[in-house]
Amino acid sequence: MAAIIGIKMRDVKIAFRNLTRQKKRTILLAAAIAFGIYIITMINGFTGSFIENVSENFSNLLAGHIFIEGVEKSESGRTLSLVRNDDILMDAIEDNEVPWKYITKRSDMNATLIFEGETAQQTVTGADWDQEEYFKERIILTQGTFEDLQAERQGIIISEKVAEKINVEIGDRLLVKCRTYTGQQNVGEFVMTGMLVDSSLFGGSTAYANISYVNELLNLKPGEYMSMGIYLEDPDMIDETAENLYEDLKTRVSMFERNTGDDDENPIIAMLEQEDEEEWEGLRFRFMTLNDIMKEVQQIVDVLNTAALIILLVLFGIIMVGVTNTFRMVLMERTKEIGTMRAVGMQRGIVRKLFLYEAFFIAVIGVAVGLILAGITMLILMQINWGLDTPAFMLMKNGYMTFKMPVWQIFLNFGIVSILTLFAAFFPSNKAAKLQPADALRSTK
Amino acid sequence: MAIVELKEVKKVYPLGKTEVHAVKGVSFEICKGDFISIAGPSGSGKSTILNMIGCIDVPTEGQVLINGTETGGLSDRDITDLRHEVLGFIFQSFNLIPVLNVYENVEFPLLLGKSRMTKAEKSDWIDMLIDEVGLQEWRNHKPNELSGGQRQRVAIARALVTKPEIVLADEPTANLDSVTSEAIINLMKKINRDLGTTFIFSTHDPTIVDVADHIIRLRDGLISDNYRQDDARACRE
Ligand SMILES: Nc1ncnc2c1ncn2[C@@H]1O[C@H](COP(=O)(O)OP(=O)(O)OP(=O)(O)O)[C@@H](O)[C@H]1O
Ligand SMILES: [Mg+2]
Repeated sequence: MAAIIGIKMRDVKIAFRNLTRQKKRTILLAAAIAFGIYIITMINGFTGSFIENVSENFSNLLAGHIFIEGVEKSESGRTLSLVRNDDILMDAIEDNEVPWKYITKRSDMNATLIFEGETAQQTVTGADWDQEEYFKERIILTQGTFEDLQAERQGIIISEKVAEKINVEIGDRLLVKCRTYTGQQNVGEFVMTGMLVDSSLFGGSTAYANISYVNELLNLKPGEYMSMGIYLEDPDMIDETAENLYEDLKTRVSMFERNTGDDDENPIIAMLEQEDEEEWEGLRFRFMTLNDIMKEVQQIVDVLNTAALIILLVLFGIIMVGVTNTFRMVLMERTKEIGTMRAVGMQRGIVRKLFLYEAFFIAVIGVAVGLILAGITMLILMQINWGLDTPAFMLMKNGYMTFKMPVWQIFLNFGIVSILTLFAAFFPSNKAAKLQPADALRSTK
Repeated sequence: MAIVELKEVKKVYPLGKTEVHAVKGVSFEICKGDFISIAGPSGSGKSTILNMIGCIDVPTEGQVLINGTETGGLSDRDITDLRHEVLGFIFQSFNLIPVLNVYENVEFPLLLGKSRMTKAEKSDWIDMLIDEVGLQEWRNHKPNELSGGQRQRVAIARALVTKPEIVLADEPTANLDSVTSEAIINLMKKINRDLGTTFIFSTHDPTIVDVADHIIRLRDGLISDNYRQDDARACRE
């Protein structure tokens, strides 16, 4: 096998032993490569999970991968978010064989929670919690359960911070002031059944209640809701599924345009602007996907990855200079030895090979050490709970850092490093191989 | 037929803006099985001539023939093969490969080319050579653990391992004391007798010169004396 690809154990053995001749130098060179690989792996690993975590956190926050919202224009010209009858939507989902896992139907309202004179502004999200398995798995309750919430029709789960602010405890009844969907003042009463972990982004301003009661407060009928969220089996299917579903829905109901085709413009904002600009009447649907929202996040990730690649190239540009210089030195030290080997019958190509193997081994050792150190660092970082109330929360998974790096990326980095190292070692090696043996032997070293 | 033949060989080294005429037109023949000394004062061109015979350097003018083959027309690959198969080298400063032990140093040239020997034959042959030069106890030692004389013995074994027809030795004893020098020369002489290997060595030590049966004296890049002890035997085969 080794013979087929032209690698002789003799050459490998000599090259490997040559590495041990100047241990300090070998270690230094390998350490430089290891450092480069370490930095790159950390960045790649972080950005690799970055998009996934942000995307997952967003889908948690927004309850789905694909969102459909009904928008009604009332006679007075106000727009109201409302899905009165979702038969058409459900038909379209069924006809298109959308691979959904959960379909959530939610109603939101802005409300003021009042308890013993203390008040807090909250978005109260009402949902049918039987349909919210995905969400329930990811939200962390410090007190109470979702079962408790469902058992109490007027139940509400409030974040720790808000509970502290208005000084409520489990079982307390609190007053709620809100507006119906048509804008009339309304009041009601919630019973606190649970408390969720604070997070400025996730739950800090949102409380969760049962849709039946939220609808009652909004003056919506049972079965009506404001937005539909579809969780797909596989988030990779978002774009394809959304495209098909959207095209189909367009033939059934009136839809806002989805993509403006302008790359710089955020598709969500573009869609919201249509609402104001265009003349329309009756009922229309907004249609958006997690990926539309993630577009900007993806741009950030792209920038980070490009930065990582530039760092890789700059770092290895510097390391390459080191490699070339080291091999020049090695060449000088071993000129006489090269002459000897050539004199006893070693062909030029093999002399070159010996140096290239040596360089390759240094690259392999450097990459291996760098990867191991990066792996250890990642494992340590992954153990730390950064909490849910840091601004970096969106980048993490439930407050823990995660790292993800596809295997091809590791091999790509390894490939780049090996090629650059071999490239840097090639010129001195070639020079060594081309020496006239007599000249090499005359070397005083 | 002569095993080595030089025809009007000249060697000019560029030295800055001037030139050094190291060898100024030298012709001679060397017979198979001879023990030849190339003698002369420092700078007379001994090393230059040995390098050209050893095909590790090329003449500026003239021809070097090994076994009747003009070496000037060969590619680097063929020249390297020729060195590997026909020539053995012993150097003044031993030139062992530091990362290899005694056995591996001797073995090294054998690994470079195609060999007719089997693995077992090879290791027997290497062991025999190490025995012959008296280093069986040092088999697994690295060169830096050996004395100068011991290192030169390793070099001799290495030069012989490919069973070359010609062994070239450029001042093989210059770095050794007189007792060790004599031992080394006697060892070379013994091998010359036993195996019929042609030895060509340079030296400026008169006591060693006398051991040779063919002496070529150089002065200023020219032959000043070409003397064969037993002229009747001149390259008869
Ligand atoms: N690479 C070179 N460049 C320039 N001049 C050289 C070179 N090699 C040898 N010379 C010159 O050529 C001449 C012959 O040198 P050579 O080494 O053949 O002499 P030598 O007889 O072996 O001497 P020594 O006994 O000192 O080893 C000397 O004048 C030397 O300075
Ligand atoms: Mg000399």
